[in-house]
Amino acid sequence: MAEPKGGYFGKMLEIDLTAGKTSVRPLDDGELRDFIGGEGLGAYLLYKELPPHTDPFSPENIIMFLTGPFNGTACPSTRLNISFKSPQTGIYGHSQVGGHIGNEIKWAGWDVLMLKGKAPNPVYIAITDDKVELRDAQAVWGKDTYETDEFIRKDLQNDEYRTMVIGPAGENGVYYSCIIVDRFRAAGRSGGGAVLGSKNVKGIAVKGTKSVPVVDIEAFNKVAGEAKELAATVEGWQGIKRWGTAGLLEAATYVTGSLVAKNYTTSWYPDINLIGAEEASRTFWKRHVSCPNCPIHCMKLGVIRGSDKYDGLIAEGPEYETGVMMGSNIGLTEMDGYMKGIEMCDALGLDTISTGNVIGFTMELVERGLITPADLDGLNPTWGDAETAITLVQKIAFKEGKAGEFLSLGVKRMADKIGNDAHKYAIHVKGQELAAHDPRGFKPRGYSYAMGQLGGCHHEGNSPEDQAIWAYLSSMVMCSFVAGYPWKKRSPGIVCDMLNPLTGWNTTPEEYWVTAKRIITVMRAFNIREGNVSRKDDILPVRLRTEPLPEGPQKGAVFTDEDTQKMQDSYYAYYGWDENGIPTEETLKKLKLDFAIADVIKT
Amino acid sequence: MSEKTPDAAERPELIDASRRCFLKRSAQLAGGIAIASAIPPVAAPHLARAAEAKEPLKPEDRMKYLFVQREHCTGCRACEYACSQFHENGAVRPAAARIHIKRFGGVVDVPVICWHCDDSPCVKACPTTPQAIVKDKETNVIKFIDDKTCLGAKCNKCIEACPSQFLRRHPDTGWPMFCDLCDGDPQCVKACKMQTEDMGVTLRANKLGFGVNMAYRDVTPKEAAEALFLTQFYPNEDGERR
Repeated sequence: MAEPKGGYFGKMLEIDLTAGKTSVRPLDDGELRDFIGGEGLGAYLLYKELPPHTDPFSPENIIMFLTGPFNGTACPSTRLNISFKSPQTGIYGHSQVGGHIGNEIKWAGWDVLMLKGKAPNPVYIAITDDKVELRDAQAVWGKDTYETDEFIRKDLQNDEYRTMVIGPAGENGVYYSCIIVDRFRAAGRSGGGAVLGSKNVKGIAVKGTKSVPVVDIEAFNKVAGEAKELAATVEGWQGIKRWGTAGLLEAATYVTGSLVAKNYTTSWYPDINLIGAEEASRTFWKRHVSCPNCPIHCMKLGVIRGSDKYDGLIAEGPEYETGVMMGSNIGLTEMDGYMKGIEMCDALGLDTISTGNVIGFTMELVERGLITPADLDGLNPTWGDAETAITLVQKIAFKEGKAGEFLSLGVKRMADKIGNDAHKYAIHVKGQELAAHDPRGFKPRGYSYAMGQLGGCHHEGNSPEDQAIWAYLSSMVMCSFVAGYPWKKRSPGIVCDMLNPLTGWNTTPEEYWVTAKRIITVMRAFNIREGNVSRKDDILPVRLRTEPLPEGPQKGAVFTDEDTQKMQDSYYAYYGWDENGIPTEETLKKLKLDFAIADVIKT
Repeated sequence: MSEKTPDAAERPELIDASRRCFLKRSAQLAGGIAIASAIPPVAAPHLARAAEAKEPLKPEDRMKYLFVQREHCTGCRACEYACSQFHENGAVRPAAARIHIKRFGGVVDVPVICWHCDDSPCVKACPTTPQAIVKDKETNVIKFIDDKTCLGAKCNKCIEACPSQFLRRHPDTGWPMFCDLCDGDPQCVKACKMQTEDMGVTLRANKLGFGVNMAYRDVTPKEAAEALFLTQFYPNEDGERR
């Protein structure tokens, strides 16, 4: 086992919650080079460490918090990756989140935190460099994420800790509960909050004072500075700086025709003007907020003023995905109720994408008479009814009443329960609700939803090659607005130019592509082992394949069977998988994934 | 639906300070901002990096004061990165940065800088002879001279004397860290420019203090956060946020 020379501390902190014990495990430089960190290393470690077919809610499930080689260095905008077996999909679950906690973990001297077991009582974990404490969190069990964040920093008597916490939704095991970082950022997808909740962990607070070892610091800092400048000055990025991703709300309506409205029934929603970026900019936003060293500052904080009910409400957003799913997808037209809904999701620890999708689905079910208000504790959700939507958010998080129990299942399980035609209106892939770009209007997004290893995720890349780039990006644990789009023209060259002085490797563009394919394929191998995933699962929901868009710039567009076949064939060919979407033995051997052959190749 | 509205006592400390005091402060702050805004932008070359700034500056080109326009801070910590890179041989290490960002209530970020007070309370407070801290009157550089003379953790006089709570201890050595303006070319200011220039730059440097530095320096980070919170998010009378 070789120790890494730079970019990593080469140390994983393993916390056994059942026994309340911690141990330090070394990470091998060769493994780090093969899987980089974040998403890739998470999939590899999960494959190795997790016993096959573990129940995601059992103490045996593993949740990992992974950094990448660039966290805590001069590189801009480094994030945190959270990997686990997803309770929502039963396959690989991971989520990327901004904020400062990823860097703090690295500065505390850890590349990876791994949680196993289940704490006997609710705890939160405080990490200060090498010191790790499990501290009592019974006082905030059941409390929202804001109160928990305050409680932790007060309990530790130090404001410098950065936190990630779960809300009541995570405690109650809602399938799409999230983990909230630095108060307003969410590791939303795949249900990480429920996994943390099942382990009785309310949150993690980290403060680090070390610095990351760098092999050639002068060369690295120079190229990192150039890389940051590239992101800061890229054409078109002024919009992201000014409006965040919310700027896409208007663009998707009027230009690309890929906005999602009313549970994917249309992409034409001119009312977006009332809840879009320009409205938010004029009436709501007060502050721009950045991830570490990031020049884009896409996060916006605002306050509602002049509303009867929600006067003084401070909230983050709207962002594109959040704004669509909790806005146009449920037909909202008023800023205050809309922001209240988003803020409730953050406070209670729910993924806004899935929550919005679930509520939109419910509204359509009621409209079509497939369920009645009697099934929802007398609530009658209709398009644009913010009040009822907010009530439903609260009920979901606490699994309160019939409505809460039912909606907390997510659209796939809800449709299974109702039967009939309900599955036609359930917009999910592999059990995870789709996000906010309609692949009928913007076909490349079909790759991300259908072919991505997470299922229904918007952040997996829009072509086979893009998915490789995005997999590498998520393994470096970096942001697509810095290292994704702006660096794309110069990838993989720029990535190698940064990694080599940092780590002392001599990685090349050829190795970059092999590594990216290895990362995608190890995730696929895990999904095959755990969920028997194959071609039949890599498919968009029925509605997107059969109902043409009725209005808007892309009127008449539909994701045809031909599109699906072309997408699947090109994807499998690119990664060296067979026509059923199973990696071949030859591919696995070429990618040094021999350990997965027995699980993947079934005779 | 039950609205959960924690009472003011449970809210972050942003709310609990006397309101009158903090209105007064914000008036003071607003005055300061007006003057600071009138200062022309920094002459330092855009995006220059530490490695290129090795030639000592001519005395007339040296910056002698820092300013901060706190409304625009995005909490990105690029200033901490740049500060530690300059002072820690290129390493990024915010815990060892002189300038630092404090986040209050999860909502506002306050850059904490050295105002280079003309009466230098930290230097005055140093009890040793000869003093362990020296300020160069020509350049405004405050330097920690002698780690043999400094009494270390048992003293704490300079840290307590700093009216803006800027001084911190180095995580390894424990010695207090002072702002030396990166020998006249503050790296934090350069770093900040790329981060926030589209909104109005947060950090600035100048050759004159205009006395504003003396008005500003009495504002603690917490008071600055309260003022920002009040002027940007204007909470209700009872501090209710939701």
